[in-house]
Amino acid sequence: MHHPDLSRRRLTGALLGLAGTAALGAPALAGTLEFAASTTPATPLTIYGVLDPPQARPLLAAFKQHHPEIALVYHHMDTLALHQRVLAEQDAPQADVIMSPAMPWQYQLANAGLSSTLDSPITAAWPRWARWRHELFGFTFEPIVMVYRRDLAAHMPPPESHAELLARLDAHTDLLKGRVVTYDPRLSGAGYTYAIEDARISARYWDLVAALGRSHTALEATTSAMLEGLSAGRYWIGYNLIGSYAQAYVANHPELEMVIPRDYALVLQRLVMRQRGAPHPEAAARFIDFLLGRPAQTLLATRTTLGAVDPGVSGPGTASALRERLGDAIRPVQIGPGLLATLDTLKRQTLLEQWQQAFANRTTFSDGPLADPAPLPDADKESPSP
Amino acid sequence: MTAGTPFRLAHLSLYRRLTVLLLCPLALVAALILGQSWFASRAAADRAFDRLLDAASLSIAEQVRWQQSRLWMDLPPSALEMLATDAEERVFYALYDAQGHFVTGNRTLPALPPPPSGQMSYADVDVGGLALRLGVRRSRLEGWDRSDRFEVRVAHSQGGRTALANRLFLASLLNVALIALLAMVVVLLSARFALEPLTRLRRAIRQRDPRTLAPLALELPRELDELRQTLNELLARMRRVRANQERFIGDASHQLRTPLAGLSARAELALRQTDPAQWRSALDSMHGTAAQTARLAGQLLSLTRLNNPEAAPAHTPVDLCALAQRAVRSGFASFDRRGVDLGVETPAQAVVVAATAWQLEEALANLLENAALYGARRVTVSVLAGPPRLRVEDDGPGIPESQRLLVLRPFHRGREGGSGTGLGLAIVDSIARAHGCRLILADSDPAHPERPGLCITLTFPDAA
Repeated sequence: MHHPDLSRRRLTGALLGLAGTAALGAPALAGTLEFAASTTPATPLTIYGVLDPPQARPLLAAFKQHHPEIALVYHHMDTLALHQRVLAEQDAPQADVIMSPAMPWQYQLANAGLSSTLDSPITAAWPRWARWRHELFGFTFEPIVMVYRRDLAAHMPPPESHAELLARLDAHTDLLKGRVVTYDPRLSGAGYTYAIEDARISARYWDLVAALGRSHTALEATTSAMLEGLSAGRYWIGYNLIGSYAQAYVANHPELEMVIPRDYALVLQRLVMRQRGAPHPEAAARFIDFLLGRPAQTLLATRTTLGAVDPGVSGPGTASALRERLGDAIRPVQIGPGLLATLDTLKRQTLLEQWQQAFANRTTFSDGPLADPAPLPDADKESPSP
Repeated sequence: MTAGTPFRLAHLSLYRRLTVLLLCPLALVAALILGQSWFASRAAADRAFDRLLDAASLSIAEQVRWQQSRLWMDLPPSALEMLATDAEERVFYALYDAQGHFVTGNRTLPALPPPPSGQMSYADVDVGGLALRLGVRRSRLEGWDRSDRFEVRVAHSQGGRTALANRLFLASLLNVALIALLAMVVVLLSARFALEPLTRLRRAIRQRDPRTLAPLALELPRELDELRQTLNELLARMRRVRANQERFIGDASHQLRTPLAGLSARAELALRQTDPAQWRSALDSMHGTAAQTARLAGQLLSLTRLNNPEAAPAHTPVDLCALAQRAVRSGFASFDRRGVDLGVETPAQAVVVAATAWQLEEALANLLENAALYGARRVTVSVLAGPPRLRVEDDGPGIPESQRLLVLRPFHRGREGGSGTGLGLAIVDSIARAHGCRLILADSDPAHPERPGLCITLTFPDAA
């Protein structure tokens, strides 16, 4: 299959930042976890995933306990590498299961027919909002949050919602100058995705961006960089951080406070799919059934910060608990064709230009002046319509 | 029906035949309707879903503008969600400029030939192993300065439209099945109803007294009424035949009773006499009457045998010449005693016909007897060939033309007071009919008005 739209060159920019979301501050992203089967004959199972080994290990260990007959190899890689590798191997797939939090990219793979249908009782009962067809399943529930320093309260009441953040920015523009940090949508795929979703949800989003621009908001490429800046005292308020990382980090850093915005909270879901033509489809189906099953979902809620989707699992760290607390304010990123629009090159350019205007081309990024967004494809080099 | 016998429609009962003849076209019509509705459901589903392609491509096309010296658009996610439908289709879109260069999209999509009218063209395409429905909208910019042409191509997978088509088809399948079921019930019932008069006719015939020949009086539909009339005509013929037989029996009894009564009276009269000469004369007279009665009985017997259609003896080759000569030889002595000149004329070679010899002999004997009884002085038997004919001529008083058909009926005598039984010519007529012969009665000498004589000819069917 020919994918001119998914060429490495154009994705580089978009995925560069997303890669950083995979691991908290760990530059060495690639890693492999192996769980040998305890019975013979063993069924091999290969997983490509973007899930930190510390988070993945308890999950995979539990799977091994349930299915000792499967010899599991988990390849951890960053989102860009994962996407590239899946595309490169699409005619001769090596991986059985693919897990990634880069929802638009994952959706694009499934839309292009690289996933295969699963029909087990568990997948059939999976909530509609957390799946697409019976091919793509969201198995985690990670809100996008704001993090602020506790000493902020000395200057102003800490913002609890988008509207309050906008009010604080408007009221304390000078005080907050350079003290607010968020994702750089030009460098981070995750940041770009949240910007698009924010713009879709809220009509006042562009007011917020303008206010962020006026207060010379710092732009970072990863959640971990923002958290480190907050912990070090460089920043007071962090906007649009991935909740699962922030929660773990804040737990060890008492000077920080995490808040899920009250007016609306975006929710990120890690999407899992079985690759079309997977070498071990049976084992892959068993793994995904396990991932969506009660034990794994309970484990996600209790022993990780990823959050459980399964409406049958309750307690802290579950979708139901979050919904109970915030009600309609919970806005999971919809697993649907809208994600394709997110990936549209022109749309991306349009959004980034609006950002650039809001920031008035000020140098806000520590690495230097704002770079041009990822280069657009040269029209002449695109394959013309056949 | 066993496996060996071939299927024949004639073997089927009327009910089955009607059912088969009605249900076969019914099945054919149902199949045609189903085939048509299959295509109609596909077309309806295509129309419904193509409208989504149309709307989605329009909503994308409205976002296309000229910006930064190139085609630009802000892709509306709702357009893609519209394409995805509830069936969660895979969706693809692409924007192409006037030269056919890819501007943006999530995959390259093929071009389509322009539609005869409107802006949209549709096609089923196979793109990278996916069966997609493709819609291409041709449009142009509507700005003040530029009016570049461009194409919005949108495509989605076909799960939803196949499902809709199948639902539509299933609905019409159920309809057709229901209608066919009703039609079948109606056909079966009406076949039974239409054949009901036949059952009534059968019952009416079965319940009749076997001896009655009265016509069937029964209300029947026109087609069966014809059958009833034909049956009634047959019954009428049978009634006539039976009337003839009864009259024949009556006549025969009467004919036998008269000479028997004569015999009885003569014997009674003679018994009162004492003179042996008187007795002798009575016995002579009684002997004559008894002989005549015996012949009458014999003729009645042979006439009955001849008229019995069940006992038609086999025909064998018979030489008419030999037959005629034999008859003349045997009758010559008695004719000579009565002073009648009996002669025979035969051709040189044999004239052979397929016939029953004893019947022809009987017929010839009767003809000769008849001639002698009615006072002929000269009787000639002749045999002619091509076609084979047997002819008996006499110079007697003859039979007037008006009487010639009547004399063929039993007990009709050409002349009152003769000593004939009135059966001779009837027997000849029966034999002629049994052989398929034409029996012709004519004057043998029409020039002689006093004694025109009688010429009776039996013409056999030509062997050739």
